[in-house]
This record gives sequence, C-alpha cells and structure tokens, in this order.
Amino acid sequence: MLQPDLVQLMAMGGSQTHNGDEEEGFRGAAEQQEEGNPFTFNPQLLRLHRDHELFEDGDVFRHMYLQDLFISEAEEQLAPSISEFGCHISGCRAVFSSLDEYEHHYNSLHRHVCCSCRRSLPSARLLDIHIQEWHDSLFTILAQKQDMYLCLVEGCGQKFRTSQQRKDHLIRLHKYPPDYRFDKNRKEKGTREASREQRTDSAMEAADDVCRSEGVCEVICSVESNQLEQEESMETHASSEEAAPFEDFSASAQTPETNTERLKPKYSYRVPKTVCFGHGSVRGFRGQRGRRK
Amino acid sequence: MWRLNKVRHKAGGHANNLEELRTKRREKERALRQARRDRQLVSKRLLLNEDEEQDTMEVTPGEQDVVTLFQNLQHGGTEKEAFLRPLSKALRNPSAQLTFIKLENSMHLLVGLLTGSDARCRLQAVRCLHELSHSTHTSVASACLPATPYLLTYLSGQSTKFTELCLYTLGNICPDSERVKERLLAQGIIPALAGCMQNHRHNLAVVEAAGFALFQLLQSKDAVQKVIPTVLASSLPSQLLSVLTPDPDFGLAPAIECAWCLHSLTSSSEDHRELLARGALRQCSSLLVSLGGAVADGNTDQGVELLVCPLLRCVGNLLSSCPADALHSQLAGVDLVVLLCELVVALIHTLPALARETAWVLNNLTAHSTESCSALLTLNLVPRLLELLPFSQGINTMVLRVLANVAHKKKEFCIQLAELGLLSALTATLKMADQDMVTLSLEVLFMLIVSSPQIAEQFVSQGGLSVLEAIQYNSDGEVRRRATYLLEQHILSEKYISMLGEYEQDRFNKFWLSFRYSAT
Repeated sequence: MLQPDLVQLMAMGGSQTHNGDEEEGFRGAAEQQEEGNPFTFNPQLLRLHRDHELFEDGDVFRHMYLQDLFISEAEEQLAPSISEFGCHISGCRAVFSSLDEYEHHYNSLHRHVCCSCRRSLPSARLLDIHIQEWHDSLFTILAQKQDMYLCLVEGCGQKFRTSQQRKDHLIRLHKYPPDYRFDKNRKEKGTREASREQRTDSAMEAADDVCRSEGVCEVICSVESNQLEQEESMETHASSEEAAPFEDFSASAQTPETNTERLKPKYSYRVPKTVCFGHGSVRGFRGQRGRRK
Repeated sequence: MWRLNKVRHKAGGHANNLEELRTKRREKERALRQARRDRQLVSKRLLLNEDEEQDTMEVTPGEQDVVTLFQNLQHGGTEKEAFLRPLSKALRNPSAQLTFIKLENSMHLLVGLLTGSDARCRLQAVRCLHELSHSTHTSVASACLPATPYLLTYLSGQSTKFTELCLYTLGNICPDSERVKERLLAQGIIPALAGCMQNHRHNLAVVEAAGFALFQLLQSKDAVQKVIPTVLASSLPSQLLSVLTPDPDFGLAPAIECAWCLHSLTSSSEDHRELLARGALRQCSSLLVSLGGAVADGNTDQGVELLVCPLLRCVGNLLSSCPADALHSQLAGVDLVVLLCELVVALIHTLPALARETAWVLNNLTAHSTESCSALLTLNLVPRLLELLPFSQGINTMVLRVLANVAHKKKEFCIQLAELGLLSALTATLKMADQDMVTLSLEVLFMLIVSSPQIAEQFVSQGGLSVLEAIQYNSDGEVRRRATYLLEQHILSEKYISMLGEYEQDRFNKFWLSFRYSAT
C-alpha cells in the first residue's frame, strides 16, 4: 500500500540518529545532524542579569522589606496561573482552560473534515459517506444505475436510489427529524440563488442552534456550482476574517474559472460573528501548496 | 523597626486600619514595580530611636520650628545638646529638611557638632544627619556631602550605635546622586566598610548596617566598572560569606543584607572567579539546603524567603560560571537537587515567583551534570516535577527544560522518564497555547522517541498521532517542521501504522502521501 520510497525513508529514519552506543545521549544537534533534522535542543546555562524580569517579584519584596512594608504571610500572594490549551489549527484561535475542552473542540471541529469542501462531520463514517456522495464522480455515475445512497444509521445497511428516498427512510423508519443536519443535499444549479440563501439561513440557524445547544459549531460550506468537486469547495467568509495569517485557503481551493467575487462578501454579512467556523485539518493541502487533483 | 524577630503590634485591630494598610501596601508595591521597570528602584532606611515605636513615626504636633532651633543652636553655648534632640525630631518632616539645608551655615554647624569634643552632641548631630539622609529630595543628600569624610572616618571607631547611624546615613545618601557616590568612592568607602565589618563583626546590628550600605553602593548603574572590582579585591566577599549563617538570637537581618550584596555582586558582574575561589557556591548551596528544607516543610520564620531568594540567585548565577568538572567539589552534593525540587513544589502555591527562580537554579544545576540528572531519577523526584507542568508564567517551561536536560544525557534516562509519565504529560503539554511549551515539548518528545522504539509505539497508542497531526497546522513554521519531521522520520513506519484501525490507516496513507508530495 505504501509507496516504495516512503517505506525506504521510514526504514532509514529510525536508525540514523545515533552515532555510537546506546548509552550516549544527544551529543549536540550538530553531531547528530542527519539531513533536515530540525531539533536543536541543548542544555543551557542561563545567566540572569540583576535587571532581568525573572527577578522582578523578588526585588519588589526585598524593597518592601527595606521600607518596612513586608508581610511574610501569604495573604497578598496571587495564586499561580495555569496554562491554557490552544487549538493548533492555524487561524483557529480558540483557547481552553482544560484539556477536555480542547479535546472536545478539536474532535468536534477539526477531526473529520472533508478535504474538498471543508465541511466538518461528526464521525468518520459520516465523513466517508459525505465524501462518496458529494465528491466522488464515480459514485454519481453508479448512482444512476443502482442503489447507492446508504442509510446513515449504522447497522441498517439499506441502500437507496436517491437521497430523498434515503431521507424518507430515515424519517419513517428511524424516526429522524426532517431537518437532520448531517444529511444536507447538494443543491441543483437552477435553484442556486434561492437555495444558497435558504441554506445559508438554515445552516446559520443550524449553526446557531448547534452553538447554543452543544457549543459546537458546524463548518458551513456554501456550494458555488455543482459540476466538479473543486468548484464546490469554498469557505464561508466570516471564517476568512479569522483566518488572517493564512489568507488564501478559499482562494486557492477554487478552480481557476471560479470567480473570487462570487465567493466573497455575499454571505459574510449573513453569518453572525459568534458562529465559529473551524478549519479543517486538511487545510495544509489546500493552502500555499496547490490543489490536489 | 524592621527587625523581624520583634513582634509587631499594629495599632488597634480595626478593620479600617487593616484595610488601609493593605491598600497602602498594594499601592507601594505597584510603585516599586514601576520603579524597577524604570531601573529606578532605590530604598532608604530610617533607624528609629529605641524609645520610638514604629507607629509614632508621624511627626508629633507641637514640634519646634526648625529655624528657631537652629538659631538657638547657634547661640546655644553649652546647651547645644538640648536643642539637638528636638532638632532631630523636627527634621523628620520633609519640608523642615528642605528649610534646614537652605539656612545659612546650617550644615557647617552640624558638621562642627559632629566632629566636636562633646560625644553626646556627636550622637545627636549624626542623628540629625540621619534624618536628613532619609529625605527623598536629592538636594538634601548633596547637602550632606560635607559630612561624608567624617562619617567614613568614624566607621573605624568603636562606638556601636554611632557607627550604625553613620552607616545607615551613608547607605541612604549614596544612591541619590552620582556626585555623592563618586565622592564616597574617592574618600575610600569600600575599605572603610571592609574595616568596619571586620572590627564590628560580633555586633550584628552594625554588620547589618554595613551590609545595607554596601548594598546601596552596589545598586548604582555603573557598579560593574566602578564599585565591584574594588569590592572583590577587598576582604568584603569573605566577610559577607561569613555572615551568611543566621544567628538564632539576632535573627535573619544581617544575613539578609549580606546575601543581597552577594546577589548584587554575582548578577551584575560575569566574573565570578573571586567568589568561586572563596567557596561562595559551596557556602550558599549548603545554607540553602538547611534553610530551604525548613521552608519546604512549612516551618518558616517570618521572612526567611527574604534570605532564600538572594541565596537562590547566587547559586543560580554562580552555577552558570562554574565549570562542569568543578561542580562536584563546589556543591553540597545531591542534597541540593533534592532541596530544589522540594522547594519548587512547596513554593508553587505560596510564592510562585520564587518557585520559578528555584526552577531556574535547577536548570543550571542539571544542564551539565549527569549526576544531578541521575539523582532526579533515582530519588523519585520526577513525578513531582511533572505535577508542575500545568503552571504557566515561566514555571512549566523551566521545569520542562530541566526534564529536557535529563533526557539529553542518556537514552537510559529517556526510557526512565517515559516510564515515569513524561510521555503522557507531553501529550497534554503539546496542546498548550504557549508556543514555547509546544516547541520544547516537541524537542523532548523527539529525544524520547529516538531513544527507544517502544516509546514511539507507546506514543501512538496514547493517541499521539492526532496531536502531531494537529500541530502540522500550527501557525509557526518551526513547530510545523518539527512535527512533520517527527512523524515522517520516526513514527510513521509500517509497524505503527498496523496498530491503527483499518480506516485510520487508509486515511493516513492518503493524507500523508499527498502531504509529502505537496510539501515544499
């Protein structure tokens, strides 16, 4: 499954770092410099000058003592501060006070993200289904001839000819709500304007609800056209406000034919600032490195 | 008085009073902090009479007018002392101080009395000068210049109270202006202080005063060029070191002053050979071990942290100049490692700033000493250090640096560290918002992973892959590079991939393949 040169690289990786026997440590980044090793840590003696900021508190206490204002009891001491956790995904500036919150955020927003349209799905299975149904041209072809739309309920296994049939099945048999968030349809061309608007509204609504009820925000993807998967990949634009350091995601995700103006400000005013658009962990693909075919 | 072993009785116990006191203290603290940032941090001390309580520091009403007193003094004949006492009280008032120095011949008169044949007048005159020296106006300090050669001369005298007053007076005026300081240096303040400390070494009140005066002298901005070389060449370093052990009866105060002098010496100048040669490192570290142990156990005299703080700093800075092979002979053995760990854990909730300084010393100790690193492991101190990793503002980065020092020494240490829980701790620290923590965590993770294949497996089974995956999208390029390198070169081999579920395998293959091809 793995490409041969990849295997080779990996085999090399493990053994290259150490000159000499097992007992030796990491002599120095220079000595063990295999090509491209970015790790540079070396133990360092830190000499602190008397004006260093690390000494500030102690100096202040010293002078409080000199001026007769010193109190030994810890009554005035501040409690030490705890590190926060921060989402790594560039552009997502979310910060959390506990590891659980961080994990929840990451797993909900950045875990199962479609590389094509950046939409975040709650599970690997739904992501799979999404990718198949939305971005796989083979699927589209096959779906014309056979039942391809898989029931979303795990274990059910039934397949349907159209997504509407599946939806009916979900509602009737599995008692799903008609507006189940993770079963949105790709819209047709003709109704694009209306549907776009409608979907944005309902998507926003959904996002608001989601935000209120679960505290998790859904990544919204607005579809430009539905010919090719690349053309469908776009971001909504409130997120581009947040994505200051990496600004060209939305831009580079489009096909050359897609017009930037059509993407941009149309929706941004509709999206409330409180809605958080997580960014897919696949963004690195789409960024400055060009598109994947 | 500031003697710490005297119990203080605050006037009344009214909530108002206490609250006012707190507010005043907080304001003062703020002012001091700002002064430090402006590099203008200077304090003066006022030695009260024995009969004065601290609370009666306010100027008593009904005091006599300074001008009148001065006039009386001029014509006083044999009763000068009777006028000098109220004059010294009157001079506690800042405006009176200014008035007095502007009076014609006032300082001349005072200096005359200071050097006259009447001993009681000398004492009162020096008291007047002392009150003047406490002024915040630099003009007042400059006005005291005519007295300085005499004050210095008297340092080699025998009268203890008198000497104490001279010392505090000198200590108060020397930071005030460059002119004053240069005059004092030229007049030989350093040898005078050395001689004084030597002669009065059994009188701890005088020793404390001398320590204070020296400290003040060492605060000047150009101390490195103008003051420190002379100090290091004198007998002062040995004397300072000999005073460090606190006297159980007198209290901590002299040791505190001398320790702060030593800190000023070690932190202003990079040349520590003189101090190292006199055993400063050994002495400071063994004292730290005995004092710090008490702090860590919670049995503290009031204010012992005022002594622990400068000792820590001395040890920290001296360690940075001590050659690695000389370390063993200079130090108090592994006790220091143990003490530092206990101290940082004990202080984290009460004095986090001091805990951070302790962690810094631990870094300097473990940087090049395999012995210290080994001690951390064998004495089971690592789990306690791991508990400190949640604390920010420089504490966790310093502690992680210490752990990195340990890992850097031997693969064997890496394996032990991983077993003790460092690996799981890293999966948390890698997610912190502090970029320095993330970078350092990656460095430590790298060292752990390359030391043993089992560690890489463990990391994967703890869900480490998704953590690194997330870091691949960090905004910092160096961080991304490290995460990628770690993943590609050391983790993503078939062995580990097989540990993942089938779906994940597939996903990863797709992702990393294309990532590799598209990566620059």
